[in-house]
Amino acid sequence: MRKISFGSRVFDAFNIFIMLLILVVVLYPILNIIATSFSSGKYIASGSITIWPKGFTVQAYADVFKDSLIYKGYLNSILYAVGSTGIMLLFTSLLAYPLTIPGFAGKKFITIFLMITMFFSGGLIPTYLLMRSLHLLDTVWVMILPGAVGAYNVFLFRTFFSNVPAELKESAVMDGANDVVVLFRIVLPLSKALLATFALFGLVGSWNSWFEALIYLKDQDKYPLQMILRNYLFALDTNAIQGRVGAGNVAINSSGSTLDPKAIRMSVIIITMFPIMAIYPFFQKHFTKGVLVGAIKG
Amino acid sequence: MLAATNKKRWSKLWKHRYLYLMVLPGLITVLVFSYFPMYGITIAFKDYNASKGIMGSPWVGFKYFTTFFHDPMAFRVLKNTLLLGLYTLLWSFPAPIILALLFNELRNKHFKKIVQTVSYFPHFISVVIVAGMLKDFTARDGLFNQIITYFGGTPIMFLLEPGYFRTIFISSGIWQGVGFGTIIYLAALSGIDPTYYDVAEVDGASRWKKIVHITWPSIKPTTIILLIFALGGILGSDFQKIILLYSPETYSVADVIGSYVYRQGILGARYEYTTAIGLFMSVISFVILYISNWVSRKVSETSLF
Repeated sequence: MRKISFGSRVFDAFNIFIMLLILVVVLYPILNIIATSFSSGKYIASGSITIWPKGFTVQAYADVFKDSLIYKGYLNSILYAVGSTGIMLLFTSLLAYPLTIPGFAGKKFITIFLMITMFFSGGLIPTYLLMRSLHLLDTVWVMILPGAVGAYNVFLFRTFFSNVPAELKESAVMDGANDVVVLFRIVLPLSKALLATFALFGLVGSWNSWFEALIYLKDQDKYPLQMILRNYLFALDTNAIQGRVGAGNVAINSSGSTLDPKAIRMSVIIITMFPIMAIYPFFQKHFTKGVLVGAIKG
Repeated sequence: MLAATNKKRWSKLWKHRYLYLMVLPGLITVLVFSYFPMYGITIAFKDYNASKGIMGSPWVGFKYFTTFFHDPMAFRVLKNTLLLGLYTLLWSFPAPIILALLFNELRNKHFKKIVQTVSYFPHFISVVIVAGMLKDFTARDGLFNQIITYFGGTPIMFLLEPGYFRTIFISSGIWQGVGFGTIIYLAALSGIDPTYYDVAEVDGASRWKKIVHITWPSIKPTTIILLIFALGGILGSDFQKIILLYSPETYSVADVIGSYVYRQGILGARYEYTTAIGLFMSVISFVILYISNWVSRKVSETSLF
């Protein structure tokens, strides 16, 4: 056995202390939010909630679920996430596959065409004006189409697809399969790991986005959950929420209970974050892989 | 002869007809949503009239750039953008490197895995939630003020005090990103041949020596590439978080180019003016990226392009 020096032991202790600090700093706020959302008003007001609910109640959730905007927001968020991710995977696969075919004229043009978008973009205002002139404002499409094809993703897909053994593709072509069939029957089924990683990243990214909704959507019934959450947390647009159940301060009066507006806010956070927390254990295996693929390429 | 090659070309195009159909949806999406906005930048040099369209609107040269240099707010937003970018770089850039080195020094693999998994999680929390958490934790009756009053201090309205804005912005950014940021460095570290460490061990190298001479050199190229990117993005502060957290009370430090463009452009409908500001900033960012890449190539022989 090798001897471990005193200095080394001190460093180990310090390192473990830092790690414990990280665990506390990351977990405490999240556990505190969960605990607050399930606690009754008097304990919240006295500021005694730490990481365990006091005076356990689900009243906050019951109140929040009376707000129809929460349901609509949930459905909209699911629609936008599934729609944008589905179109992203489809368009990216369709665009990346031909780039792996030897002799396909236009490969070079498409590569340059895509690469330019990695360095130059129109920016916020010209993009906004484009959406307006295409009459895409306040439509579902503005939430699922614009980000569908990213140059970087196409290049990663291309690299992945080009590793599919050529013999498999050739034998399919011998059997009379055209390129579309080869992509969907041979290449994509062999790229499940890639598709799963990008699907998860796509879903999470879309679920968490809110700025597009802020600038492109005026109709509350089309708001994704993040926008509803933002109105609960920041109550910026008081006119927009008037007459609705929830909106933090309103709830305490309408229910007449011991509920604290903070419990309402925290419960909406948990409702919004729930899908992410639910898939995280499965997701975390994938994303290290996903980032690694990017790192090797980049 | 010519007819023959032409015929060959056509037969090849016909053979690849499905491939051309396949690339179409993607190419159209990129053309519309990436290239059309690039063309839209021309309104920075025009008096934009929606009914006439971009093409029909009259040219006005550098009018809107001049407006920006005479805007009393211009100096403030430029200063805030630059300072916030510099401080963010100073604190947020080294943090994941240090954490990755610390992760690498942990002896217990299970413990390491647990801390890593937990530290990655905040990356997947939305900006709205992070801003909402900050708002509640920094409120008068929030966590931070509970601690302050516990020790006998007076509560501070953190989000209304300009002096705290950058600290809140940057530290919450580190909270969210430091764990996830280690992944790329850990990938570089995993490529180190363990025999290097064994040999160093035999030579009696201390742990610190091993970090300096083996671990650090292996992540240095990654660090430089990411630093070039970070420098290129120094003017692109995360204004989504800013517009959730700032208020007129903190505009003096919090209002950056991104938030100013959002307010003046989207809310104030000053499209040509804000497009001009956006273009101006893109050009400067590109110049910074180019210079840092050039310096890096000269000094360390690592570069992006």
